[in-house]
Amino acid sequence: MIELEGIEKTYTSGDVSTPVLKGVSFGIGPGEFVAIMGASGTGKSTLMNILGCLDKPTAGHYRLDGIDMVHLEDDELSHLRNHKIGFVFQQFHLLQRTAALKNVMLPLIYADEYPDDAEDRAAEALATVGLSDRLDYSPSQLSGGQQQRVAIARALINDPSIILADEPTGNLDSKSGAEVLAIFQRLHGQGRTIVVVTHDRDVADHAGRIIVMEDGRIAEEISVATPRDAEEELKSLANGEDSE
Amino acid sequence: MRLLRIAKEGAQALAANKVRTFFMMAGTIVGIAALTVIMAIGKGTERKVMQRVEAFGPRAIALIAGGGKDLPPPDMNITTLRLEDAQAVIEQIEGLEIVSPQAWRFNMDLKHETNQIQAVVWGVEPNWHDAWNWYPVEGDGIASDDVATMARVCVIGSSVKRDLFAGADPVGQTLYVNKVALTVKGVLEHKGTGPVAALDFDSRIIVPITTAMRRIMNVDYVGAIRIVSKDTALMPKQVEAIRALIHERHHITPPQEDDFRLITPTVIGELARGTSRTLSLLLGALAGLSLLVGGVVLMNILLISVAERTKEIGLRRAVGATQRDVFLQFLTESLAVTFLGMLLGTALGWGISVVLSKVSPMPVVVSWEPFALAAVFALLVGTFFGVQPARRAAKLSPVEALR
Repeated sequence: MIELEGIEKTYTSGDVSTPVLKGVSFGIGPGEFVAIMGASGTGKSTLMNILGCLDKPTAGHYRLDGIDMVHLEDDELSHLRNHKIGFVFQQFHLLQRTAALKNVMLPLIYADEYPDDAEDRAAEALATVGLSDRLDYSPSQLSGGQQQRVAIARALINDPSIILADEPTGNLDSKSGAEVLAIFQRLHGQGRTIVVVTHDRDVADHAGRIIVMEDGRIAEEISVATPRDAEEELKSLANGEDSE
Repeated sequence: MRLLRIAKEGAQALAANKVRTFFMMAGTIVGIAALTVIMAIGKGTERKVMQRVEAFGPRAIALIAGGGKDLPPPDMNITTLRLEDAQAVIEQIEGLEIVSPQAWRFNMDLKHETNQIQAVVWGVEPNWHDAWNWYPVEGDGIASDDVATMARVCVIGSSVKRDLFAGADPVGQTLYVNKVALTVKGVLEHKGTGPVAALDFDSRIIVPITTAMRRIMNVDYVGAIRIVSKDTALMPKQVEAIRALIHERHHITPPQEDDFRLITPTVIGELARGTSRTLSLLLGALAGLSLLVGGVVLMNILLISVAERTKEIGLRRAVGATQRDVFLQFLTESLAVTFLGMLLGTALGWGISVVLSKVSPMPVVVSWEPFALAAVFALLVGTFFGVQPARRAAKLSPVEALR
C-alpha cells in the first residue's frame, strides 16, 4: 500500500545543497503499525512530510495505493491528502474557539462530496476516541490528551488509507500518551494502517515494526515480536496511583 | 457546494474574532456612510434645484432693480428701472415671448368695510397672467383697457378673499388701498407657500401697473421686469443682449457697478445648490480617504491575521485544502468584512441623512441608489485589499506552515 523507492530529498539554499534523505526505500502493507524512529536531524521529519504528501522528494518514487505522488500537481496532492491520509500532529493543531465536533468535520469541508451525515460521522469518530460527551467543547476546555484524541477523530473522519502521526505523545504526560497509543493499537486491531514518527523507543515499541533512521538513511529495521500493550500500561499506571 | 463551505469557514473566523472584525470594518463603515450622505444631499439638492427652477420658470429671465448678486428681496427704492427699459427690451431683443414689467409694495393696508389686512400690492401688465401662468379662477384678470385707463380695479389672491372678505364672493366688491377704492374684478388661483421663505403667495392683490404707479405708489419706476424667452437655447445670448442694452440705457460702463440684476434659472439653480456642493466635495474627500485608509487597515489586519494563523492554514492544507481553497477563504473574509461594513455604513449614512433633514436646512433625499453604489465600492475595496493577503495565505508551504 505504501512503497518508497530510492527517496532522496536535498534542500538547496543558494549554492549550498544539504542532502537530508539519501535514498530511502521501504514498504508498508495494509493493516501494519509501523514506527519510524530517529533522533532529530536524521531526516525523519522530512520523511514524514513526504509520506504525508506535504512535500515532494527530489528523487525517487513514492506510491500510495498505487498512485505515484511524484507526478502529481499541488491540487492533486491536496486531494490525495484529503481522502487517503489522516494526520495527527505533536501540537494537535486544532482550530481554537471551535467545537470538537466542528474540528473533526474540517477535512470534510475539502472533500469532493460533503456527506449529508457529516455531523453524525464526526460524532461517531469522537465516540471511537471516547469523547462522546465532549462534542461541543472547544480545545481550550479540553486537556492535552483529550485534544489529541479530537485530532485522532479528525484523522479518522475521511476513512483514510493511512494514519500518519508525528510525535503524537510528544506534548502529553505518560498517562495521556498511553491513552493515545492505546487508541492507535485499538485502531490497528480494527485493521487500520498506522505510521508513527517518533524519537522515543518506548513509543516505537508499541508498533509491530520499527524503521530506524540515521543520517538520511534507514539504519535498521526491527520487527517487534511482542509490541508493548498500551492498555496494560494504563492499567498499571492506574494501579500505581492506587498504591500510593 | 465547496465554495459555500469555504465561505462559511471564512465567516466563522470573523465571528470568532469580533473585535478584530470590527476594526477591519471601521474604514468601510465611515466611507460608505459618507458616501450615502453625499448621495442623499446630492439628490435632495437636485430636487430642490428642480423645484426652484420650475417655480421660477425654466425660460424666465428676471430683470430686477438694484445691484448685487443675490436674489431679491427686491428693493423698490431703486428708481432707475423704468417702463421705458421694458419697452426697449421688447423692441430690441429678439426671441422673447413675454416682457412684463411690475411694481410692488409689501405690507400695504387693505380695507373692506371693517376688515383690515396687510398684503402685497402688485402693479402689472395684462401679460403678467401669462408670464407667471397664473390666472383668475373667479371673475376676470387684468386687461389692456385697465392699464390704458388707469382703472381702479384689482384681482385678489385667495388669502385676501379669505381674510378680507371672509370667503364671501368678492367680485364687484370694493376694497381700499391708501384711500384708493378698487373694485375686485376676480380672484387668483390658489398658489400656496413659496419655496424660498414661508411667503404666502396668495396674500396679494394685483392692479393695473399704471394704477399702481400713479394712483397708489406715486412712482415713475418699476421693481422688476419679468421676461420669458421663446427657447431656452436662446437665453444665454438674450441675457447678455439685455445686459448690454440696460448698461447703455443706464449709462453704466463696467467695472462700474450695475444698478440691476439679471436672474436666470441657472442663477436660481446655483443659489439653491448653495453650500451643498462644498459639503458634498468635503464628504466625498472623507469617503474616499476613509475607504482608502480603511482598505489599507483591512489589508494589514488580514496580513497580520495570515501570519497569526499560519498553523491553521498549514492544517487546512494538510487535511486537503488546495491553494485556491485557502485563497478563497481569505478573500471571503475580506469581502464579508467590507460587505458587512457596507451594510452598517449605509444604515449609519441613512441615519445621518434623516437626522440632517430634520435639524438642518440641507435638502436631503434618502433613496436606494447609495446602497447600490456602496455595494460596488465594498466589492472593489474588499477585492482590491483582500487579494494580496489571500494570495500570501495560499502560497504558504504546508510544511513550513505546520512547523
